Amino acid sequence: MADLLKPLHDLFFAISEMENSIALRESQFVWPLFEVVHVVFMCLFAGLIVMMDLRLLGVGNMQTPFTQLQKRLFPWQMVGMTGAAMTGLVLVFGDPMRFYGNIFFWMKMLMMVIAAVNAMAFHYIAYFSVDSWDNARVPPFGAKLAGALGVALWGFVIIAGRLIPYNWFQN
Amino acid sequence: MLQPYFQWMNDLAVSKAIGESIWIYPLVQAIHLLFLALFAGSLLIVDLRLMGWGMREQPVAKVARDAWPWMILGFVGLVVTGIPQLMQNAMREYFSEFFWIKMYVLPIALIYTFTIRRMVSMADESRVAPAMSKLTGFASILLWIGGVAVPSRLIGLFT
Repeated sequence: MADLLKPLHDLFFAISEMENSIALRESQFVWPLFEVVHVVFMCLFAGLIVMMDLRLLGVGNMQTPFTQLQKRLFPWQMVGMTGAAMTGLVLVFGDPMRFYGNIFFWMKMLMMVIAAVNAMAFHYIAYFSVDSWDNARVPPFGAKLAGALGVALWGFVIIAGRLIPYNWFQN
Repeated sequence: MLQPYFQWMNDLAVSKAIGESIWIYPLVQAIHLLFLALFAGSLLIVDLRLMGWGMREQPVAKVARDAWPWMILGFVGLVVTGIPQLMQNAMREYFSEFFWIKMYVLPIALIYTFTIRRMVSMADESRVAPAMSKLTGFASILLWIGGVAVPSRLIGLFT
């Protein structure tokens, strides 16, 4: 994996030398502020994603048709995602070398990519026939699979994110 | 006043064992966050609806009834994964102002959720003034996110 990331090393290192980056990681309150806001946006994003996935699995929010849940929660999920992404970028900007050498950070990034692929696959496959199962007590296999993968993948993103400070494998 | 109890908790063999293992504590923290996502989602889906956003085509009561068991599950999970963290850090938490903010707001938020918020969200909507509904949702977010979640994150950042 180290070889794969090599090209990024110079970039991450250059950022870490920037004045603003140094100021951010040495700040007493700004860094913690971003950590806190990152978690609040995570609550909004991951929370509403879970609500949608429970519906896909056929176990939660069953009184609401899926399309309605999707349509109405989507803007809020996007607010959460944008907020979490922006605060996350600022955190990486503030301490790039800490993240560069961190296995959990890269696992988190990888899981997010796979989660995005899962969402796209759902959109183009199971969602295509949504009219036939919008109100169904038992959603079709494709919808359940997308829901289960969504919960698992975003769950891993959260776990990996929380484990970043514990860099057991750094050498 | 409570210091001896915190000291006792701090010195328990179990607390020490949690602290000595390199992975138990981080893993408990991570699972705590998973339950946070579940809890926050089932909380916000109702609070947004109360405030007139989110699932507007759906009666509040339906949304609230569907979300309720997930919120309880999320909360129970948070408590179960919160206790070992408290045990392992008992003295640090005792001296953390943010911990006490959390502990004071938590019972208020709980009582609020089981009384006013539950009554307003499960009531027949025609009998609830829109302003009352909005205020109920807003106060819930303020209590849980502002009063409980944010101070929780700050415990670890300022010690």
